[in-house]
Amino acid sequence: MSASNEINLNESKMVVPLNTWVLISSFKLAYNLLRRPDGTFNRHLAEFLDRRVPANVNPVGGVFSFDVLIDRATGLLSRVYRPAIGEEPQPNFFDLERPVTAEVVPVIIFFHGGSFAHSSANSAIYDHLCRILVGTCKAVVVSVNYRRAPENRYPCAYDDGWTALKWVNSRSWLKSRKDSKVHVYLAGDSSGGNIAHHVALRAVESGIDILGNILLNPMFGGQERTESEKRLDGKYFVTLRDRDWYWKAFLPDGTDRDHPACNPFGPKGRSLEGIQFPKSLVVVAGLDLIQDWQLAYVEGLKKADQEVKLLYMEQATIGFYLLPNNDHFHVVMDEISKFVSSDC
Amino acid sequence: MSLHDSASSAAGSSSGSSSSLSSSKPPPSSLQQDIVRHLAGAGYTIRSSDLPQVAQRLERLETAMGSSPADFFQLASDAILYNPSDLASWVDSLLSEFTQLPTCCFEFILAPVDNAWTTAELHEPRVQQNITYEQQSLDRQLTVVTAMEEDSDIRLVHKLMACAECVQRGDFSSATSLIDDMQGLLARVNTVCGIRKVAGHFIDALSRRIFLGIGGGSVDGCGSAFENEILYHHFYEACPYLKFAHFTANQAILEAFDGHDCVHVVDVNLMHGLQWPALIQALALRPGGPPLLRLTGIGSPSPDGRDSLREIGSRLAVLARSVNVRFAFRGVAASRLEDVKPWMLQVNPKEAVAVNSIMQLHCLLISDPTLNSPIETVLNWIRDLNPKILTVVEQEANHNQLDFLDRFTEALYYYSRMFDSLEACRVQPEKALAEIYIQKEIRNVVSCEGSARVERHEPLAKWRRRLSGAGFMSLPLGSNAFKQASMLLTLFSAEGYSVQENDGCLSLGWHSRPLIAASAWQAMPEPGSCVSCLE
Repeated sequence: MSASNEINLNESKMVVPLNTWVLISSFKLAYNLLRRPDGTFNRHLAEFLDRRVPANVNPVGGVFSFDVLIDRATGLLSRVYRPAIGEEPQPNFFDLERPVTAEVVPVIIFFHGGSFAHSSANSAIYDHLCRILVGTCKAVVVSVNYRRAPENRYPCAYDDGWTALKWVNSRSWLKSRKDSKVHVYLAGDSSGGNIAHHVALRAVESGIDILGNILLNPMFGGQERTESEKRLDGKYFVTLRDRDWYWKAFLPDGTDRDHPACNPFGPKGRSLEGIQFPKSLVVVAGLDLIQDWQLAYVEGLKKADQEVKLLYMEQATIGFYLLPNNDHFHVVMDEISKFVSSDC
Repeated sequence: MSLHDSASSAAGSSSGSSSSLSSSKPPPSSLQQDIVRHLAGAGYTIRSSDLPQVAQRLERLETAMGSSPADFFQLASDAILYNPSDLASWVDSLLSEFTQLPTCCFEFILAPVDNAWTTAELHEPRVQQNITYEQQSLDRQLTVVTAMEEDSDIRLVHKLMACAECVQRGDFSSATSLIDDMQGLLARVNTVCGIRKVAGHFIDALSRRIFLGIGGGSVDGCGSAFENEILYHHFYEACPYLKFAHFTANQAILEAFDGHDCVHVVDVNLMHGLQWPALIQALALRPGGPPLLRLTGIGSPSPDGRDSLREIGSRLAVLARSVNVRFAFRGVAASRLEDVKPWMLQVNPKEAVAVNSIMQLHCLLISDPTLNSPIETVLNWIRDLNPKILTVVEQEANHNQLDFLDRFTEALYYYSRMFDSLEACRVQPEKALAEIYIQKEIRNVVSCEGSARVERHEPLAKWRRRLSGAGFMSLPLGSNAFKQASMLLTLFSAEGYSVQENDGCLSLGWHSRPLIAASAWQAMPEPGSCVSCLE
């Protein structure tokens, strides 16, 4: 047992820079402390350990941010990130919701990862990522602080995503000049990617236009054990056991991983044929044990004649996009930028 | 190159980096920085020279975890962790916890809801000293903004700002007509929530400033001391801020007193002594028995000749007797905190001393170039007591800025947040009187100047600098205090409150905006001694 552990540790150390290894390993360690075998979650400790940053109306690196209470009833908060204009001093209250000025301004609704249980919109790693997205895509980014499992199971996260989408879509100050409409993209990593898919589905069914979905290492799964899961279990920071735990914490009691939330194109899922689903950019890390499910998702979209681009990053592990210290990161940011700007 | 250099350096940090990333690799950094910048962006401070060691320890923990998962799990529930930002030290503390024999851990649970003395469960604490990295200040942040629910909100805020600006310029006639406008507007809208609720109080404060002048606060007086105490008490009951303050401070004091048989608490403003029954209780149940507890309560002399300090002291003595804690009380009446001298407190060199300040230090920030700065005077005498711990709780707000408009804006958002949070509390009539308590603060911040303006709140970042400069070093409040505080909130069952940990300090806020912050300090060793406080 300990011998194979050593091999696993050494393998993962060879594919990521040391500081990335330390960061992801310490997350892994912390997360192991938080998941209880009985399915409950040590939320107090989780909140204590999670590194957070406040919003900042002073532009840093050309981006400023502020928090908004989108839904009083559920306490749904989101953090809005906007590009600062020129050299102006700190914005006052009225500048925060000043109408966007360009002909076309992409608005990216971002759902952070954390396997439905961890992290928040104001987690440092996600604040960092959202700021980068603003610069890369010349976009406004709205990061949604959705309710988490196990305290709030399916469909809370999706409901919150939907609430956020409706809010974004109805903001007059986010409308692009060109057509007086809000140009919405949905994006997310890990569980956030999963949420983006399901919110897009709901949007399509309700007639709200989504221009594109950006899914970074999206979290999908199923009852069956796939080849990649067996091959990569425990090798690169993630184990099957922890994946199972998170699904159990999110999905309704008594259901299994073939629930369509987890397995949208599985035995209980449905085809998207004939549906006007937005184009998708799906990023899969070659060392992620759930890649077979992610690839199956891409296949499912293709089979239904949906526009999808797959970015398969061979030597990438989970979380590669959290630190801008590797090639994968830059390739992906480039692709995201192209994905979004091709509509402008 | 990284877009956002570090989570902790915001205002004024390098904005030279371009905001769009091209497909080429980032240029190599010309400065070899010791703290790893990328991890700083993730909220962690770690020296690049420490990386290999930390990696090794993570591996050891991983292996240990694999071989005895049950123990590891026990570790998770019992360990008290400090300073999660300091990656090296928290990995170390986990590893050392795991490699020692399990001992029971410290948990001090208090039911804070009313003044009934309830039992508390205790186990033995293990306090670990940790390195803290100084976090750079975020001088101005406007955090939570309620999505403007109606156009009337925007108009109201517009007018409030415009009015404040007129007042600042001295254009009182424009200001007055704006006030009339706003009162008309308010009469027509539902003032149940959001900024509308608090707008009325700000309009009132602006009126006072215009019509009564900036010493106007003192005409109103501070109310009678008795009235103030009643309002304070209702504020205490209606929302969790003061309870959080007492709770967190007590937890830290308890941990600091561990192993000491003679302890002495100096409360810089005793008020009703609401904080102390819980501490007495907890000390009573300490394994190994309670210490001898002395409490010195400082307070203003009572105008009506009552010795209120002594009355409160007697009540506390009765409680202490009932739980078998040897207790002695002393009252020190002083109208100004800077008039207190260490000899008045009669501290015994063998005692462990805790100095406790709940929302008092900001009153001392009145700057008068002709006098010694009161805050320095007070921090000096505190330091001269050589306390084991100094607990400081302050409003997390920037209400002491020179510019009136800046102050006004900050206060508008701070107090609307606070009023919103009050809405979550169901208890009447506490809520109504609590609102009046808050209203007095608003009046003071907005309509007073000079020595009349006592509500000079400053953010934690500034207090850190001040206290470090005065010879104190930070004592981190750990995961245990955090957990206790979070549990306190669940007793309140009001969604929306949150406790946050920030570099060893805890804050309580509403909808992610911290409104009150608690920190603990101890005197730095005298220069010339061999102890180094930072590795």
